[in-house]
Amino acid sequence: MRIGVVAFALVLLVLAPVRAAHAQFSFDARRFGMGGVSLGRDGSVSRFNPAYRAVKKRSGLNGAPKISIPIPLGLVDFLQQHPLGRLRYDPMFNPDSAGFNPIALMNLITSPPIFYDLKKPPAPTNDVEFTIGKNAFVMDLGQAQVLIPEQEFGLGSTSRVLDIPGPGFAGFHAGVMWFLNYDIGMTLDDSLRRVLKEADSVRANSVYSVRADALGQSGIAPTLSYSGRLTHGAGGADSSDDGVYLGGAAHYYLGAGYARGQGPAGFVTGTPVFGTAPTPLLDDTVWTSNKAFATGFGGDVGVAWISGPFEVGFGVNDIGATLSWSDTKVQRFRYFSAGDSLSTELVANHVPTRTKLPITYVANSAIRMGTGTTVGGDVVNSGRGTVIHVGVEQRYTVFAIRGGVSRDQRKHMQFGFGGGLRFGGLGLDVGFWTHSPSLSEKRAMTMATSISIY
Amino acid sequence: MKACAAALLVCVAACGQGKAIFNVDVYSYMAGTGKDTIQYFIPPATSDSASTVLKVSLPPGFGSSSVDSVKITTGNADLLNAGGTGSIGFSLYFAADSAGTYTAPAALSIPSTAVSGPDTVAVAITGDLSGIVDSLFKQNVLWVRIQAKGTNGGATLVSGKGVLTALLIRVVLQDKVF
Repeated sequence: MRIGVVAFALVLLVLAPVRAAHAQFSFDARRFGMGGVSLGRDGSVSRFNPAYRAVKKRSGLNGAPKISIPIPLGLVDFLQQHPLGRLRYDPMFNPDSAGFNPIALMNLITSPPIFYDLKKPPAPTNDVEFTIGKNAFVMDLGQAQVLIPEQEFGLGSTSRVLDIPGPGFAGFHAGVMWFLNYDIGMTLDDSLRRVLKEADSVRANSVYSVRADALGQSGIAPTLSYSGRLTHGAGGADSSDDGVYLGGAAHYYLGAGYARGQGPAGFVTGTPVFGTAPTPLLDDTVWTSNKAFATGFGGDVGVAWISGPFEVGFGVNDIGATLSWSDTKVQRFRYFSAGDSLSTELVANHVPTRTKLPITYVANSAIRMGTGTTVGGDVVNSGRGTVIHVGVEQRYTVFAIRGGVSRDQRKHMQFGFGGGLRFGGLGLDVGFWTHSPSLSEKRAMTMATSISIY
Repeated sequence: MKACAAALLVCVAACGQGKAIFNVDVYSYMAGTGKDTIQYFIPPATSDSASTVLKVSLPPGFGSSSVDSVKITTGNADLLNAGGTGSIGFSLYFAADSAGTYTAPAALSIPSTAVSGPDTVAVAITGDLSGIVDSLFKQNVLWVRIQAKGTNGGATLVSGKGVLTALLIRVVLQDKVF
């Protein structure tokens, strides 16, 4: 049990930064200080909008660094508090410990400690009141009721962990990207939702369950892309970046592996509610790939328009991306109360299945004023809600101050601010931003630090 | 069973450093079974007692929790005296099994109430059981014995029955489900 929890938490910890990276596009403290906004040309939005590949790279575009190297102060702090050699006994990962709190663990997973937490994600604490009778069981979770979702809840993302550009000519580029997609959705049935959310009594001979649907898949995708400049500004092709840019990319997906689990988990009450042991309910179907190299085609399209200090872009990723897995195993896991046993049944083996990658939409705009002011915004939707970032930066000689706001996937407003110092080709940036962990309505605040190379 | 309890009660852990409060409706386990009624027949110039014993099931998984307090917040009984003059008191005993309720010390004793002739007298049963039965409320099952103890100083038989109408015990735990 302990090992399982530790392993599960560590796997998610590994995956979670990828999610954060995708949501924020980078670990750049400058970006965090501006509320997470990606500034088009000088952001990493080109990974998600192929049209930007045709825009010339200009160094020093209003203070944009060539490279940002994160300083993971949070990771250092985390490893000091939670030594790797003692993770199995760490109260954070050990359900047998009096200090174990699953909400704190989930907060850690959804808010990975890459950067330093000034205000840690709060684990909700309040009294929970139960009323127990022969045929009644009422749970009043108090303030924790807000944590109980009304509809399906979960987390998911499609990340392009690596995008390795290859050779190119005349606007065409070849390359390879490493994609990672995961999506975990859970839905409480009506009876369980009423019990947890509305303090309704658990009733005799009733089913209470959570329906889960979790998918994870990863692989590589050789990519052939084209990007070109459709129109030029008044001064000609080389005088400025002005113009309309179009881009498209075709991906040939090669899936390395996938797994999917689907089904209910819960319990069935007896009569009376107390006095008879509830029967566990588990009837799940799990698909796993036997062989790698699922194949599939998909594509990205993008457009960008630059006019003087203003630019706007729009990209759509993974259009029609369906992966065909030629060799899949389908198993059914069921719990049988008679004998208190869990059975594994092979439903089918060596059968083909298909999975999809969700379409990701990215829109961005930025304006760079001659006074050292840069204002930008972006909108991202990768299948789990829309995220909006708006930010501004003002530079004064070697100093920069930044601020921004964002709306996260759960429609919560978040805030960012920060600053930077630049000496020649080297800079130090600090960004502060608020964020709400998945299982909390309150905000945490984190400080990001990074070194910029110009 | 443990897995079921964990699933059912994982929400308790979600309250972090908060407390888990249990309102155990003991009366609901008695109602309709006859165990909510204790008949008494006390001959003249004697004392006597009668009991009812019942099993109460509690949510499993709180074995490692610590109990802050155990109180009877609501408790009522009616003494339906059929005849005679005397006094009737109640005592409550808690144990991990049925037999243990007869050897355990009384967790709560309600002072005697005078009865006389055919009459109905209401008795309130409330009290603080903290420190006396704490560990029992961390178990999956506990047994309760309610004893009616009467004295008859008169010359005629005191007879009747005590009928429990409400008994709610409030247990406050520093929760620790797993």
